[in-house]
Amino acid sequence: MQATTYQTDLKQAKDFLYAIIRESATAEGLKWLDQQTHKLEQEWNYRTFYFSFSSVPRFLGKATITYSKATLSQARELRSGFSPEGWDLTQLVRTYILLYLPHNNEAEYAQTIDRMCETADMYEQQAIYAALPLLPHPKALTGRTAEGIRTNMTNVFDAIALQNPYPADYLDQEAWNQLLLKAVFMGRPLYKIDRADERANPELARMLVDFAHERWAAHRQISPEIWRFVAPYLGEQYLSELEKSIKDGQPLEVEAALLACAQNTYSGGRTLLEQHPDFRQRIQKGDINWNSIGERYNA
Amino acid sequence: MKFIDPHIHVTSRTTDDYEAMQAAGIVAIIEPAFWLGQPRTKVGSFQDYFNSLVGFERFRASQFGIKHYCTIGLNSKEANNERLAEQVMELLPLYVGKEGVVAVGEIGYDDQTPAEDKYYRMQLELAKEVDMPVMIHTPHRDKKRGTTRSMDVCIEHGLKPEMVVVDHNNEETVQEVLDRGFWAAFTIYPHTKMGSERMVDIVKQYGPERIIVDSAADWGVSDPLAVPKTAKLMLDKGIPEEHVHQVCYQNALAAYSQSGQMKESDWEDVAIDQREKYSGNSVLRGGQTPKVKGSSDIVEN
Ligand SMILES: [Zn+2]
Repeated sequence: MQATTYQTDLKQAKDFLYAIIRESATAEGLKWLDQQTHKLEQEWNYRTFYFSFSSVPRFLGKATITYSKATLSQARELRSGFSPEGWDLTQLVRTYILLYLPHNNEAEYAQTIDRMCETADMYEQQAIYAALPLLPHPKALTGRTAEGIRTNMTNVFDAIALQNPYPADYLDQEAWNQLLLKAVFMGRPLYKIDRADERANPELARMLVDFAHERWAAHRQISPEIWRFVAPYLGEQYLSELEKSIKDGQPLEVEAALLACAQNTYSGGRTLLEQHPDFRQRIQKGDINWNSIGERYNA
Repeated sequence: MKFIDPHIHVTSRTTDDYEAMQAAGIVAIIEPAFWLGQPRTKVGSFQDYFNSLVGFERFRASQFGIKHYCTIGLNSKEANNERLAEQVMELLPLYVGKEGVVAVGEIGYDDQTPAEDKYYRMQLELAKEVDMPVMIHTPHRDKKRGTTRSMDVCIEHGLKPEMVVVDHNNEETVQEVLDRGFWAAFTIYPHTKMGSERMVDIVKQYGPERIIVDSAADWGVSDPLAVPKTAKLMLDKGIPEEHVHQVCYQNALAAYSQSGQMKESDWEDVAIDQREKYSGNSVLRGGQTPKVKGSSDIVEN
């Protein structure tokens, strides 16, 4: 039998989540949660598991949670790139319950996650997908994740795409490129996609530039953030697009196109950069970078 | 006046109905899982139906300023397809706890067959296990006996009467339902069930305690405004306003809020914003202008 792949120590992950839950939940809510997990530990049964997972808002509510810097750094230690920031109490507790799902059989595990996603309401889907970086058998969940990317519910898409280290770690290039392209299409903040630079690829650059052409043909703006993923592949073939962005683009698009030039040794890009010494200086000082462009564009 | 219609199958109604319901003062509705006019043949059809009850239909209602709840269950007609019924029973635990699900229902008897009895009992056990109210559909044929039997079986399984709403009552059944401590719901449905005039007489005779009025409007010839219309008739016939409020709003709230999934604040100060989308779908089609309503202002463009 194949050994289970873990992305984190499940016991530590449960302890981490439980500590935050304990601070925010009412005594009654906590008591219900303890009873449910106790039942699951004593005698596993899917009925109790499904019911517990879905009933969390009924028993614990949806209080907003403020995460301290210390908590967030603890989260990153638990699993690199993991952040529960923005999760309300219900989402936190659902994630905690999800970690009780038995995982000794990979196929059965993936099947259960599938079944849950197929029957989930919007907020349940959000919780399952955002929990991906903590779940065992990550490789068995890539198909489900690719399916999730097809959603049009923004909160569900964001749960997969933003501040989630799982996609960069496990999605194949095709699914990854779909995620990026869909994020652009849905107007999601690309700078919040975890370690996206590492997964840049020539095919993605081509798709993004094609998309830019469609936007231009429709007399629409493009997101300046797409230049981030074209930057490593600048060359003759993207020169006219660079020139267009710099000449006709919104101020942020100009910054982004010039930043892309600065990040590549391609001579055509370097020449364009030389023509804008003021921008070059701000780029050198670090005042213009992908995060600041992303933040301002999505503000 | 504000109303709750605690039994209406809005999935088969139009947006015109939603607009009229909202204008008539309906603030919240409960959509019980039921059959769709023809039998389903695959468990996946149930899954997608349940998904629509907790998903798109809830969104659609919200677009017209109406708070949508639902009940989840295997109806009595389809309990007779045992192979399918087994699979639906496996599906129920995934749904009964979800947000906005306020009861197990509508369940009960249709032809009062052994299969109906079996799945009715299993679902009562489920409701007890998860501490949820039950909505009972009483049979159209052999009604009096079926109603008595529905309650007997509840008691046999240890359910508390105050957690059970017995629906589709008439003059013949109401006395026993009230005497035994159950909630007695009445469906104002043309031709087959109650009429508004008769409803007025029942409230006059029995008073407003534990009596609930609903429309059960569905894909048949039915009236999504049955609750507000009956309320008006009651007022015209001299029933005190607080009694009307009780049977057309407060009692339904009291019965189903026992689920912990329904409270008045859910629909007070709700904003309508038709610019919102659900899964990329809007209730608007090309060229239509969205309505946006704050708590106090209506933009009619
Ligand atoms: Zn019905």
